[in-house]
Amino acid sequence: MANNEDAGTGKLVNFSYNVFTLCMFLIAWTVLSWLLKSLFFPTPWVVFKAFIELATYGDVEGINLSVHIYKSSLRIFAGFVAACILGIPLGILMGLYPKVYDSTKSIIEPIRFIPPVAWIPLVIVLLVGFSRYAFIIWLGAFFPIFIGTLLSVRSVNPIHIDVPRSFGASRLYIIKKIIIPSTLPEIFTGMRVGMGIGWDCIMASEMIGGENEGLGVMILKYAELIRIEDIIVGMVIIGAIGFLINEVFILAEKYVFKWKEAISIG
Amino acid sequence: MEKKLIDVDASMKFNGTSVLEDIKFKIHENEFLVLVGPSGCGKTTMANLLAGLLKPTSGHITIKGEKINPKVHNISIVFQEPSCIPWRTLWDDIIMGLEIKGADQETTEKRAKEVIKLVGLDGFEEYFPKQISGGMKQRVAIARAYATNPDFLLMDEPFGHLDAQTRYLMQIEIMRIWEKEKKTVAYITNNIEEAVYLATRIIVLSKLPAKIKAEYKIDLPRPRDLTGPEFLKLRGEITEQCEVVED
Repeated sequence: MANNEDAGTGKLVNFSYNVFTLCMFLIAWTVLSWLLKSLFFPTPWVVFKAFIELATYGDVEGINLSVHIYKSSLRIFAGFVAACILGIPLGILMGLYPKVYDSTKSIIEPIRFIPPVAWIPLVIVLLVGFSRYAFIIWLGAFFPIFIGTLLSVRSVNPIHIDVPRSFGASRLYIIKKIIIPSTLPEIFTGMRVGMGIGWDCIMASEMIGGENEGLGVMILKYAELIRIEDIIVGMVIIGAIGFLINEVFILAEKYVFKWKEAISIG
Repeated sequence: MEKKLIDVDASMKFNGTSVLEDIKFKIHENEFLVLVGPSGCGKTTMANLLAGLLKPTSGHITIKGEKINPKVHNISIVFQEPSCIPWRTLWDDIIMGLEIKGADQETTEKRAKEVIKLVGLDGFEEYFPKQISGGMKQRVAIARAYATNPDFLLMDEPFGHLDAQTRYLMQIEIMRIWEKEKKTVAYITNNIEEAVYLATRIIVLSKLPAKIKAEYKIDLPRPRDLTGPEFLKLRGEITEQCEVVED
């Protein structure tokens, strides 16, 4: 019981430290922009006002901030889900049958090293609208998920496979009860990395993509107008969403991998 | 008259290197056979063969006259390495064999409770392996192996990773369990004292390529006295047979 309380107060202390450092950061920012008195260095307050403006009246074209957020998130989500649906089973398959990977390596590996951003011009020519963005994000998120899964299948502890095998377990049982649970932590890591790369990709592709909705293009619009406070609003929102998604992942990991968190008594 | 359960007549080669050469022996029902040999003499290969996880290069290993196969025969192994499944609670780990063999829920629960009691893990059912000590993990492995009521139980240096004291306690434990639920056991070790303490019969293997060097029937009364004159005499004799420097 004492342990739980300790963990509770520990969290509270952590939280208050974070609030404190955040306040310090905002104060330092304010002071600095007061000292510089530059149009290119707005105070947090001006940025906040720009945020309210964008959220109530929309941007220069009247498109609301929430629409930008929604569009970018939807594109990310679609690309990311597609990357998981393809990357995880393919990683498991190629991990279980190294021959499949070895004999397709000369296709997979070079593609892996073409940065997703390098695909953008081609994709703009070939695809239209939503699919453009989803494809680029899929491309960016796919490889970390796929490679993470592939490697973790290969590194399953052989003794964990021998245990069910010695009881005469089927291959399916071993895949379901041993391979998948033991690779899950690394699949999660791959997903987190993939999600990060997905955000990189969405910004780049929205900036080049030529449509007028999405956080990337919103930032670009205000860069053309040299409206720094609105650019910062876009950047902060991207950071905040990324942070939130990461927290969700961490929470899910804590729940799924209880066996890793368990405190030792022996 | 002793009933023969397992018949071994096998040789094993890996990439042309002979590991086991003309190993021939039988295992009788309810006996506690200990295979002892110097480290690196192919003992683990022997274990994998007996478990049906490997096929011999030539010859055969049969149980009740049929080729040994874990999908058909009810055999269990306690591995040398720690073998608990990290994401399973002790309970879920112990019932794995029953789950694979397709036992119904009632049987599973009854049997799991029995073996948990047998190895003294009551109250730890919901723990994860990370939370328990090395000795307890080996108890889990023993409980898991016993749970399926195997016709043949194979133990491959099960206490090799434990410290001397825990190892000694586990030996006493394994004897207590074996006397309570008699099973046909093949126990592999490089520890001669352990062999003499546990065995009803000992087979001594030579270093690579392993051949059978000697066989001893041990009928000292139990519990055996590790310092008794007869115990020490046997231990000395077998140690001589096991001597790394040969000829």
